[in-house]
Amino acid sequence: MSTVLENLVNQPYKHGFVTDIESETAPKGLSEDTIRLISAKKNEPEWLLEFRLSAYRHWLTMPEPAWPNVHYPKIDFQNISYFSAPKPKKLKSMDEVDPELLKTFEKLGVPMNERAALAGVAVDVIFDSVSVATTYKQKLADVGIIFCSISEAVREHPELVKKYMGSVVPTGDNFYAALNSAVFTDGSFCFIPKGVKCPMELSTYFRINTQDSGQFERTLIVAEEGAKVSYLEGCTAPKFDTNQLHAAVVELIALDNADIKYSTVQNWYAGDEKGVGGIYNFVTKRGLCKGANSKISWTQVETGSAITWKYPSCVLLGDNSIGEFYSVALTNHYQQADTGTKMVHIGKNTRSTIISKGISAGRSNNSYRGLVRIGPKADGARNYSQCDSMLIGTRCGANTFPYIQVHNNTAKVEHEATTSKIGEDQLFYFQQRGIGTEEAVSMIINGFCKDVFQQLPMEFAVEATKLLGLKLEGSVG
Amino acid sequence: MSVSAGHPYVEALLQGSRGLPPSPLSWLNQRRAQALERANALTVPTTRDEEWRFTDLSPLTKMHFQPVQAAGALTLTLSDIEGMLVPEAGLRLVFVDGMFAPALSALDGLPAGMQFANFAQGFKVGAALAEKHLACHVGFDDNVFAALNTSYLRDGALITLAKGVVCAAPVHLLHIATQKEAASYPRCLLIAGSGSECMLIEDFVSLQDGAYLTNAVCEIVLEADARVRHVRLQRESLNAFHIANCAVVLEKDAVYQSHAVALGARISRHNLNVVQNGEGAEMKIDGLALISGRQLADTHTLMDHARPHGKSTQLHKCIAGGAAHAVFNGKVFVREGAQLTDSAQQSRNLLLSPKAHVDTKPQLEIFADDVKCAHGATVGQIDAEQLFYLKSRGLPEAQARNLLTYAFGAEIIDRIPVPSLVARLERTVLEQTQTGQQPS
Repeated sequence: MSTVLENLVNQPYKHGFVTDIESETAPKGLSEDTIRLISAKKNEPEWLLEFRLSAYRHWLTMPEPAWPNVHYPKIDFQNISYFSAPKPKKLKSMDEVDPELLKTFEKLGVPMNERAALAGVAVDVIFDSVSVATTYKQKLADVGIIFCSISEAVREHPELVKKYMGSVVPTGDNFYAALNSAVFTDGSFCFIPKGVKCPMELSTYFRINTQDSGQFERTLIVAEEGAKVSYLEGCTAPKFDTNQLHAAVVELIALDNADIKYSTVQNWYAGDEKGVGGIYNFVTKRGLCKGANSKISWTQVETGSAITWKYPSCVLLGDNSIGEFYSVALTNHYQQADTGTKMVHIGKNTRSTIISKGISAGRSNNSYRGLVRIGPKADGARNYSQCDSMLIGTRCGANTFPYIQVHNNTAKVEHEATTSKIGEDQLFYFQQRGIGTEEAVSMIINGFCKDVFQQLPMEFAVEATKLLGLKLEGSVG
Repeated sequence: MSVSAGHPYVEALLQGSRGLPPSPLSWLNQRRAQALERANALTVPTTRDEEWRFTDLSPLTKMHFQPVQAAGALTLTLSDIEGMLVPEAGLRLVFVDGMFAPALSALDGLPAGMQFANFAQGFKVGAALAEKHLACHVGFDDNVFAALNTSYLRDGALITLAKGVVCAAPVHLLHIATQKEAASYPRCLLIAGSGSECMLIEDFVSLQDGAYLTNAVCEIVLEADARVRHVRLQRESLNAFHIANCAVVLEKDAVYQSHAVALGARISRHNLNVVQNGEGAEMKIDGLALISGRQLADTHTLMDHARPHGKSTQLHKCIAGGAAHAVFNGKVFVREGAQLTDSAQQSRNLLLSPKAHVDTKPQLEIFADDVKCAHGATVGQIDAEQLFYLKSRGLPEAQARNLLTYAFGAEIIDRIPVPSLVARLERTVLEQTQTGQQPS
C-alpha cells in the first residue's frame, strides 16, 4: 500500500514556469551601498533609509539562528541580489499591464480584471517585489480603507507607515527580520480606519520570479478602533534548482475592538523529490492586540517551501483581547518545517486558541514549536492548544516542542498533542464502502485538518483542500 | 554546554578529588581520570543553555563547597535517623554525606540472589558487571555534574540481582546530609538480572538546614523481563542544592516504574533518562514536585524508545506555592524503527499563589509512523466549581482548598506501594498545603 501512496505524493509541481519579463536586477551582494541603492531607486525619504541602515547595522552583529530543527547549507548572503523589479512603466489602466504578466496570473488562476470582479477579491499583486497593479482600490477608498503597496504607502501616507512599521517586529527582533528591515523591497500596506468593516476579503498573491532574487516582503496591516478586516495571502513560485531565500515580515496591529483575520495558503516550490532546490521561507509574522477587546486570528496552510521557519504570533496586550492560530503544515520528500506560534498574554482576561495539524510524509521533518506565555499581570488568561501530527511513511519525523510558561496563578492553560497514522482499519472501512484508497486518504486527511479549514475563507478552503489532496496523493499506507 | 578551561567553581569542587586514594581496579581509575578531565573542561551551565533555560544555577556557583569530611558517618547513631527509617524495607543501606555507614545500615535482610557491595571496598562480587555498566549510562562527556560525581567515585552502592530473583521487601538507600557547605556525591548502580524483581527506595534527607550540594548519580540496568520499581524521595533541607542524574536501561520486556517526589532543596534538578533498549519494554514514570517559598524544582525526563513495541506512561505533577518555580521538560523520543510505540504523557501543574510560576514543556520527537503518542499539559489554580461544591457542603474555604490541593498531590503518592512512606508523604503534603498557601 505504501508504494501506491508514494506514487500519489510525487505529483509534479504544477506552477513551475518562469515568466520572461525584463527584470531590473541589482548586482549581487549586501552592503550599505546596496541598501542606499534600494532606497534611492524607490525614492524613499531619509527616515526610511535610516530605518534600513540601523537594521542592517544590527543585523551585522547578530548570529544566524541555529536552534530551529532544520538543516540546510549555509546561506551566502553576498550571493543574493536584493533588488529585482519589472522595468518601471507608467500604467494608465489594466490594459497596459504586460500581457505576459497577466498570462502568468491567468495560469495561476489569480482573480484579476473581470475575474477579480467576479471573485469579489481585491488583489494587490506582488510580482517580484514591486506592485504592478492594484485593483478595487477605488471601492476601498470610498470607505476610507488604504490598501496599496508599501512603497506607495511610504509616498502617500508616510506618517502612518512611520508610526506603525517596526512597532510590532522591531528592526533587531531576529536575524531574518533584521535582514528584511534592511533590504525589504515591497509588500502590502493596509489601513482600516476607525469603525470600518472592510467590505471584501483583501488579498495579495505573492510570486517569486527572478532566479536567485531573495524576496523580502513587508506587510503592515493596521486596524483602528472597531475596524474589521480579513486578509488573504496566497503563494506559488516557479520551479528553480537554486534555493531561494524568502524572509518576509508581517506586522498586524489591532486597536480597541478591532478584528484582523490573516489567512495564508503557501505552496511554494519545495524542491524535487531528491530535495534539490526549493524555497527557504524564513518569515517573521506577528500581530499586536494593542487595544482592549481586539482580536487577531492567523490561519495558515503550509504545503510548500523546502524549509519553512515561521511562527505567526500574537501579543495580547489589550485586556480581553483574543489571539487565534490555526495551522496545517504538510511536508513531503525532503521538506522541513519548523513552525508554530507564540501567544504572549500580557493583558487581563486574554484568551488564545492554538490548533495545529502537522502531516509529514516521505523523508520530511515537521516540527511544531510553540510558546504560550502568561505574564504576571495577565489575570484570568486562558489558553487552549492542540497540536496533532500525522506520519505517513517510516522515514519522516514529527516533533512537538511546546513551551508553556505561566507566571500567574489565575491563568488556565491546556495543551494537548497526539500523533497518529492513517490506520489500515480506517482505510479498510472506506474501501468496503466502495471508496478507493486515494479518495479515502484524501478524506481522512481533510477530516484531520477540518478544524483549520473551517477557519479559511470559502475560496481558500476549496483551494487548500485540493492542494492537500494533490500534495499527498499516493503517500499513505 | 559551553566549554571553558577550568571554571573556578568546578575547579574548587574538584580540589578534593585529587586526594582520593586510587582504586585497585585500573578501569575504575581510568574512568575517574576521564571524568576528571571532562569536569575540568566543562563549565557550569547557565540559562543560555537550552537544557538549563529556566533554572539559574548562579546561587550555586556563588557558594564555596568543600568535599565532605569522613567524620560525619562516625558520629551518627541509629537513634538519630530513627524517624527516617522505612519499616517495610528489607535491606537498608545508609550513606552519610556520600560515604557508606555500615553501622547504620542493615545488611542482614539481604535475600538470596541479591548482592550488595560498596564501591570503595572493591567488587568482590559483580566486578565484571560493574565494569560493564558503571559510569556507562549516565554520560559525563557533556554533563559537568555527572563528570564531577564520577571523578569523585569512591563510595557507592552496587546492588545486583541474580536471574529470576524476586525480592519482595524494598531496598532502602538512605542518603543523609550532615555537613554544611559540603558537596557530596551519592552514587548507585543497580543491575537487575533477567526475570528478577525488586524495589529501590532512594531517599535523600538532611539532618541540618544549611546550604550544601548533593550531586547524585544513579544507574539502573534491567535485563530481559526484569521489573524494577524505583521510589525516589528528595527531602533535602530548604537551603540545599540537589542535582541528580539518573539513567535507566531496559532490555527486552523489562518493566521500570518510577515514583519521584521532590519536596526539599532550594534548587533541585532531576534528570531521568530511560532508554528502552529491547523490544516490548515498558516504563511508567510518575513525578510530584511540591514546593513553596523560593524553591525551584526542575525535572527533565527523557523516554527514549529505541526498539519496537515499547510502552511508556508518565504523569508529572507540580504544586507550587509562595514564589516557587516549577520546571518540567518531558521528552518522548521515538527512534526510527521503534514501531508500535505507545506513549502517553501528562504534565499537570497547580499554582497556589500569585507569585508561583511554572515552565513546562512536554516534547515529542517521533521518527516512526506506526505509533501512538499523546501528551497533555495543564496549568491552573484550584477549580472554582470544585471549591464551590465543597463549600456548599459546609467546608470552610481554607479547608476546601487544602483538601483539593491534597487530593491533587495524593494521586501520585497513593501509587507508591509502601504504606509507611505513603502515610509520611501524605502528612507532609497536608502540612505544606496548610502553611504554603495564601488565601486569595
